[in-house]
Amino acid sequence: MGLLDIITGKYVDPTHFKSVHESGNIITTTVDAVVNWGRKSSIWPFPFGTACCAIEFMAFTGSHYDVARFGSEVLRFSPRQADLLLVAGTIVDKMGPILKTIYDQMPEPKWVVSMGVCASTGGFYRSYHTMQGIDEIIPVDVYVPGCPPTPESLLAALMKIQERIKSGDQAKRPQGEHRVGARAEGVNDRRERREAWAHDDASRASTGLDPRGRIHFKLTEERDESGNGSHHA
Amino acid sequence: MPSMIAMERDHALAKPAYRILAEKLGEKILRGTDYRGDLAITVDRSAWKEAARTLRDHPELDYKLFLDLCGVDYLNDESRPDRFEVALHLYSVTHKHHIRLKTALPEKRPVCDTLVDVYKGANWFEREAFDLYGIVFTGHPNLTRILTHEDFVGHPMRKDFATGKRFVNKKAKEWLLTVPKGSEHLVLNIGPSHPAMHGCFRVQALLDGETIKDAEAEIGYLHRNFEKMAEERTYWQIIPYTDRLNYCSAFINGHGWALAVEKLLGVAAPPRAEAIRVILSEFSRIMDHLVCISTNVVDLGAITPFFVVFRAREEIYDLLDSVCGARLTVSYVRIGGVAQDVPDDFDARCRKTMGWIREVAEQLENLLTRNIIFARRFKDVGTFSKEDALSYGWVGPCLRGSGIGYDIRKDHPYSGYDLYDFDVPVGSVGDCYDRYLVRVEEIKQSLRIIDQALSKLPQGPFITDDRKVALPPKSEVYSDIESLMNHFKLVYDGILAAPGEVYGYVEGANGELGYYIVSDGKKHPARVKVRPPCYNIYQAYPQMIKGTMLADAVAMIGGLNVIAGELDR
Ligand code: SF4
Repeated sequence: MGLLDIITGKYVDPTHFKSVHESGNIITTTVDAVVNWGRKSSIWPFPFGTACCAIEFMAFTGSHYDVARFGSEVLRFSPRQADLLLVAGTIVDKMGPILKTIYDQMPEPKWVVSMGVCASTGGFYRSYHTMQGIDEIIPVDVYVPGCPPTPESLLAALMKIQERIKSGDQAKRPQGEHRVGARAEGVNDRRERREAWAHDDASRASTGLDPRGRIHFKLTEERDESGNGSHHA
Repeated sequence: MPSMIAMERDHALAKPAYRILAEKLGEKILRGTDYRGDLAITVDRSAWKEAARTLRDHPELDYKLFLDLCGVDYLNDESRPDRFEVALHLYSVTHKHHIRLKTALPEKRPVCDTLVDVYKGANWFEREAFDLYGIVFTGHPNLTRILTHEDFVGHPMRKDFATGKRFVNKKAKEWLLTVPKGSEHLVLNIGPSHPAMHGCFRVQALLDGETIKDAEAEIGYLHRNFEKMAEERTYWQIIPYTDRLNYCSAFINGHGWALAVEKLLGVAAPPRAEAIRVILSEFSRIMDHLVCISTNVVDLGAITPFFVVFRAREEIYDLLDSVCGARLTVSYVRIGGVAQDVPDDFDARCRKTMGWIREVAEQLENLLTRNIIFARRFKDVGTFSKEDALSYGWVGPCLRGSGIGYDIRKDHPYSGYDLYDFDVPVGSVGDCYDRYLVRVEEIKQSLRIIDQALSKLPQGPFITDDRKVALPPKSEVYSDIESLMNHFKLVYDGILAAPGEVYGYVEGANGELGYYIVSDGKKHPARVKVRPPCYNIYQAYPQMIKGTMLADAVAMIGGLNVIAGELDR
């Protein structure tokens, strides 16, 4: 009975840890739940603001609507440090590859909110240079309607993402195959990637290796109440 | 109507610009008109550059302020032998006069001389005309695409280019600069997604340590084709699109559009509508300046002013919301008036909002104006001379910061600005600090205007009763067959403007916002060209930052207040 069991998801009877339990102040839960709780309450958005919607986005971060109440006030301008891509504004074809690069640079798990009708469908710009919705090139988890959406609806979108993180949902797969229009080369299809990983795992397993990225814990000792310990692998 | 044309020509002949050009160029002047008070002169394309130079240099003319240059496609106009036309708009600050110079170009070989050596600002405009219309300017230093992406094929603004035809852009343009061979300087790419580039512009700088040796800018990352869309919309339907040009002060754009169309149609809005427009325009101007200043200092690391200022912004939003139901993109203006009357408590609401603005503006000044860090970052940074500002076509607070007091509200009063008493602040040095001071002072002046306009707010209708332009009131539509038909006709056919062209302009938050409208008598305009103040301002930016420190470049961009929606359209 140890940390390893918790990580691998085995049920742990908390009463085994007597000393901690008796002193109170302990909540027993699963790691997943704790991690999701942490993720949900500290979503760091990357504001990809291009047009008018970005102005309402500013109101959303400003003092009146105050997104800090939801733990998302840490705007990151580096995709490497963000887990929510907030696309606010019209995306035109010229911007496509840049948006795509930024999405690819974000570490997983990552979420995408498309703010406003322009980002969602191209809005009322049906013309030669406007992308008809960013889901032509990247997956979108929550679409926010409006031109521009009010800050309230953007908050609602954020809460929706929070809910989904809390319930352990995965972000959406890339879509877009079914849409006419541009699908930039090398679109990040997570399905393909998962298949590649599965393939890799299988080939490693056949040579007796563990899958890549598996963490090995070396727990030195587990002590019982009296202080005598036994070694664990 | 031959007599009308003759009369127009006579008017045009009487203008000094026409006289002097005629003396100089003789036969090469093809036509001069004075439609709706816009002096327009057509010259032969062989005299294009000489005409522009004469207009600039002749002491009696002095058209030194470059405003706009654009292409027009007259594919469907059989009366014209040549398909394309290039139109140049200029302004003389000393004589307070606008002029339009045009030349026709044949379909087979649309080529004309470049004006880059006459007006520095012509550079990007010619690239745009090349990009959108395929017009070639001989002698242009860098005639490449500017708004559309590199994989684009064809010239989209031509009438025979399908609106919805798109091309996939696979890869962003990597190099804007040519790096000298063997150079050990660092190339730094800033934007289009960068916190200091509000919106989506891009600059590439060649750095020697922290000094910028060379810089080049790229735009078009928000080119969403306002002008092409406008050619397929009726004059009303364009109103929401105008809101999204300069979205920080959306109302002013609509105001400008309404005035331009009213000029084209020859109708006027009733005094109450004009006063409401003035009040909301000034609130929008305040909002724009507040955002400009606060985001500018955010770039420098001071985030408090942003939070302070947004309190006042929310109040203005609430006011707009109570008037028309939208916060940002208001679509409140109509051709010939406004959409509906203001609420009963409009006066009280405005005064409450003004109270907030006063308080916030005072706090802002306390935080910034005498703040030593701020002053050091701003004083003598980004100094831009008068001559350059004119040649590039700077307008608005930036031009006034450089010491030229050109303000359309004073020099060509519209919507009754001549009824109100206000001052135009002018800078003396032309640096970032001057531009900041001009904006702060303009906020105060705007409050003065609003105060007077509110106390003088006339009673009466809020939209013209010209039934060719404005819809009849709903109560009549439901009770009266004439009005019903009128309503139907007007919605179905739209406003029909007589063939002709006008250039309407207002003082936007960033300066002269112009609409060049060509009508061919149909319900959609044949060509709408926005004269975006930012376009000229941003064009100068790579030149401004050469030789400065990188950190100063960041301080400069915010103060220029470039708005992507207006820049790229
Ligand atoms: S959805 Fe509307 S407000 Fe948002 S970027 Fe598009 S046009 Fe602007």
